[in-house]
Amino acid sequence: MLLFFFTASAQQPKIQTYAARVLAEGQAVAAATVRVDKQIVHSDQQGNFTFSAISGSTIHIEISAVGNQMLEQDIFLHNRLATPLLFHLKKDEKQIEKIEVVGFTKIQEVNRQAYNVTAIDATKLYNTTMNISSALDRVAGIRVRESGGLGSNFNLSLNGFSGNHIRYFMDGIPMDNFGSSFQINNIPINMAERVEVYKGVVPIWLGADALGGAINIVTSTKPGLYVDASYGYGSFNTHRTAVNAGYTSKKGFMASISAYQNYSDNDYKVTVEVADIKTGDNYQAAGRVRRFHDTYHNEAIIAQLGVVNKPYADKLLLGITVGQSYKEIQTGARMVSVFGGIHNEGNTIMPTLKYQKSDLIKGLDLTFNANFNLGTERSIDTLNRRYGWYGDWKETGANGGERSRQLYEYKNNEGIATLTANYKILARHAVALSNVATTFNRIGKNKLDPQSSALELGKKSFKDILGIGYSYDVDGLWSTTVFGKLLYQQNKNADISSTSSTEFGYGLASTYFPIPTLQLKTSYEMTNRLPTPYELFGDVENQQGNFNLKPEHSHNINLGAIYNWKVNDEHRFSMGANLIYRYAFDYIYNRFNANQTLLIADNREGVATTGTDAEFRYSYKKLLTFGGAITYQHLVNKQKYEEGYTGVSPLYNDQMPNIPYLFGNTDLGLSFRDLGTKGNVLNIHYNMLYVHSFWLYWPSLGSTAVGAEKKEIPKQLSHDLSFVYSLKNGKYNVGLEVNNIAGTQLYDNFSLQKPGRSFMVNLRYYFNKK
Amino acid sequence: MKNNKWTNLALAAMVSLSAFSCKSDDVAPDSGNDGNFVLAVTPVASEAVADYLVTAKDLESGTVSILGNGLEQDGTYRYYVTHNNKFFSMLYGQGSPGAVTTYEITDGRLTRLKNFTSETVQAFAPVNDDILMMKISRNVTNPTASYYQLNTNSLTITKEGVVNTADVLKNGELAFFTWIKQVGNKVYAPIMSIKACCSTAFETAYPDNAWIAVYSYPDMVLEKVITDDRTSYIGRYFRDGLAVDEKGDVYAFSSSVATGNGAITSTKPSAITRIASGTTAFDKSYYFDIEAAANGKNITNWIYVGQGKFVVQMTTKEEKGGYTDGKHIGIVDVYNKTFKDVTGMPAINTIKAVTYNNYTPKNGTAYIGIATTDAVSFVYKIDAATATATQGLRVEGGSITAVNRVD
Repeated sequence: MLLFFFTASAQQPKIQTYAARVLAEGQAVAAATVRVDKQIVHSDQQGNFTFSAISGSTIHIEISAVGNQMLEQDIFLHNRLATPLLFHLKKDEKQIEKIEVVGFTKIQEVNRQAYNVTAIDATKLYNTTMNISSALDRVAGIRVRESGGLGSNFNLSLNGFSGNHIRYFMDGIPMDNFGSSFQINNIPINMAERVEVYKGVVPIWLGADALGGAINIVTSTKPGLYVDASYGYGSFNTHRTAVNAGYTSKKGFMASISAYQNYSDNDYKVTVEVADIKTGDNYQAAGRVRRFHDTYHNEAIIAQLGVVNKPYADKLLLGITVGQSYKEIQTGARMVSVFGGIHNEGNTIMPTLKYQKSDLIKGLDLTFNANFNLGTERSIDTLNRRYGWYGDWKETGANGGERSRQLYEYKNNEGIATLTANYKILARHAVALSNVATTFNRIGKNKLDPQSSALELGKKSFKDILGIGYSYDVDGLWSTTVFGKLLYQQNKNADISSTSSTEFGYGLASTYFPIPTLQLKTSYEMTNRLPTPYELFGDVENQQGNFNLKPEHSHNINLGAIYNWKVNDEHRFSMGANLIYRYAFDYIYNRFNANQTLLIADNREGVATTGTDAEFRYSYKKLLTFGGAITYQHLVNKQKYEEGYTGVSPLYNDQMPNIPYLFGNTDLGLSFRDLGTKGNVLNIHYNMLYVHSFWLYWPSLGSTAVGAEKKEIPKQLSHDLSFVYSLKNGKYNVGLEVNNIAGTQLYDNFSLQKPGRSFMVNLRYYFNKK
Repeated sequence: MKNNKWTNLALAAMVSLSAFSCKSDDVAPDSGNDGNFVLAVTPVASEAVADYLVTAKDLESGTVSILGNGLEQDGTYRYYVTHNNKFFSMLYGQGSPGAVTTYEITDGRLTRLKNFTSETVQAFAPVNDDILMMKISRNVTNPTASYYQLNTNSLTITKEGVVNTADVLKNGELAFFTWIKQVGNKVYAPIMSIKACCSTAFETAYPDNAWIAVYSYPDMVLEKVITDDRTSYIGRYFRDGLAVDEKGDVYAFSSSVATGNGAITSTKPSAITRIASGTTAFDKSYYFDIEAAANGKNITNWIYVGQGKFVVQMTTKEEKGGYTDGKHIGIVDVYNKTFKDVTGMPAINTIKAVTYNNYTPKNGTAYIGIATTDAVSFVYKIDAATATATQGLRVEGGSITAVNRVD
């Protein structure tokens, strides 16, 4: 080795730590990968890194970073260095291609946190017509269950937790109050730059009371002028448009607009027992019929105006989100309940404020966000009819609507303000503080029942979550965060009763890199979740309020490892695996209310989850990517005594019903570069999804013999294929998707069928001028 | 090479995903309980509940379990009725159309005949060869009750229609039928007068009156409203307050549980009254004050076991409520106007619930289900003559909710 070659001429050679910095065009380069002989280190936000070497030796150094050309240099190390070594990288024009190959992308940076986190690179999915939710469905540990086609109700489960146990954020701002026109199942993937999934322990800067994890959608902002427009058309008369455009001037003026639209008739065919609406007779056993009352559409515009890179603010943006949605309801909880007129509509009118400033005083970064939703939701059931599966109907002669006659209109008046401060005390020590306050004040009335509406009084909820954390970080080697959260909630129902609660949670997250390519993570949190206003007051449609609901708690433990390796730069591999354990008490779940007409949230004494998930990825040059994820989770009922009983429950330690416990996906991508002409790329992508069958009700009860018809959600296996041809370095893109190629009958929920084979064509234009 | 091994392993894991399958294909063996009695059992935990139907050969001894046994019903709050040797399992389904599954017993096992679609109803009873079902509004904006006549031979709805519920009592409140009963060739529907508005939907300004609407069948024309001011309303919400004895006399009980402003406002005691055979008026000469005879207890449910005798469920003054099924069992003899408490029952504090949908061979005995707080259930045989209860069939895995017999 070179090291020893030079030792003879050096005076007192010894191992010593050297400081260095990476710059590109005078700017610090963060997250550069530096290889000093056999050591690998990474530069921090300011481009600084350190390495140890023998003084008086000559080292070989390689530095690579996204968007820059690789730098290779041999350097003679003097005994003592007065100033850090400086390395200047040259910008690489072909940076997009580099992302897949070297350096840390933002995605990898997120994944390298101590939390059990997975980031999805949304940019890779821009040429598809996916929603955020369908992209999430491919993450290990996540299962998105939909009740039908586009816009249908969804329920995302993450390591066995689902519904309100999971919190959603957009750029760190809670999405609780965004309204029905703005949910993860109707926001196109192009809105996002990446989607971060925190499993179990949620970092305090997200400031939430999540029980099972959080999902943060990071929207894209690009310098200069950019336009990203796409339009897709496909089966079931589905149209989807998304336009993102923005402009940032040299003087720091910034304007951005995102607009999108989804429309679908959702008139796919389903297999049902068709009943005669006159006799009730199921005269057509297992017939194929088309859904006829399932149109969904939503439209939204997000506009922001403000300044960036000013002395008083890195970012100060005022904006407004305007959206609306319309959704027809085809069936009730079972497909035997057919509707032809029931629908919901809603709109979102939400002013927003975003403020960001780093180094307000040295080391202190500050973020403040606020928004208020002035939107209105309407739930409409005004036809006194009974519908059949052929769209045929009869008058009922009563005045009871199809389900429950109403024209209910309400405003939730929800507002959110978040403040986050990060203070870097010393190089390795940082303190973070966050506070999130939310308000809710529902005012609603049934316009068809003024007498009853007159008795409705306001329903109010206020929630505040204060978090404080401390982290110690040795870059590239280990980092640890400890944190505490104080939660407070006050609820008021119709001015007659009010409740309040204060909870305290705490946790720890740590990560360690034994070698640079192997990361170990562990985290623990004693977490609390406060009931949502919807659980307390109902959602006016399917959920009845339970004002006596208690906050739920959980011990969350995560253990994970990620390992990357390669074989002669052409074959690259990464593998990750997680073990999770959750023990939730006062677990909030939905059950039917006393007269079985609505769902109501209730507390269950204990639910324990043990689970594991694994992910694998392989890539060959830039030609081929292959990977997959598999999840297994075991949820057990730990309520030993049911209310009103003194004997041990026969269901104590039984597996929790109606929760998928084994599922996975695998995908294969091929990328043919410079096909036809230089700068054109053809991408072919295949994805397979598998969900193992599971029981709708308690597994131990009832006969499982064939004739006994124990209710089961059958195995699901679906194959999706997409072709995307990009021209002129991605400026023009044409995509074709075939989903559920085999046309198999898919179910996420008992008896509610999802669409069969469907096609989608997608056109996209992308332009960016710096 | 090491890396290849890992690749293969990962690949194998992905591929093997599709190889799992766990559905059991065997036909359930006779658990020793194949027979003509059908019990409905509900899990003790309320999450995502379904009822289970199990058969039994004998109600007086043995054990039956829903652990790994029994026909799973989709959803709880199902209601069961037996008529024309068929067993009907009806889902109380959220104001939506309701699924009904019909079974018969072959070789001691429940065999599905067919599914059909009905409505969510609040009262149903056998009338001639039909099951008459009524969907009754509790909202003043919809002053109607819809009826559906299900023919139990063809298993189709042969007639449906709507009756007005605002012009029955003509007191500004809606008539809500607590239950329906065939009497002769008429349908008797005892009425709860309800305000049908707002948070006080089931409250009334008339807590001390009883009414029975008399409808022709199958035309469902309102022929008469029989009234009485000696008791509060007959029956209770979703509970049958009428019985017809061997002579054709109709007996009615009042629980005395009408409410107003969130409290019970009936001032008349729980009592039994009579409508003599062939008449359509309360028999003013017949009145049996149950509260006086039963040490202050009131009737919440009853089953007629023959010869003028009823097995009744009761609540004490403290337990009294509009929707409470009593756990105290007694014997009422309406001919002799006598009352006896039944002995041999488990201690009251160990009873979780007593079933109200029970079986009687009309020979002076009834078989009722007792769900205990110990999370097991039993069928008890109640002998009216001796006023004694005897523990019979043990039911494991859940709480019993109904005891039926299908021949």
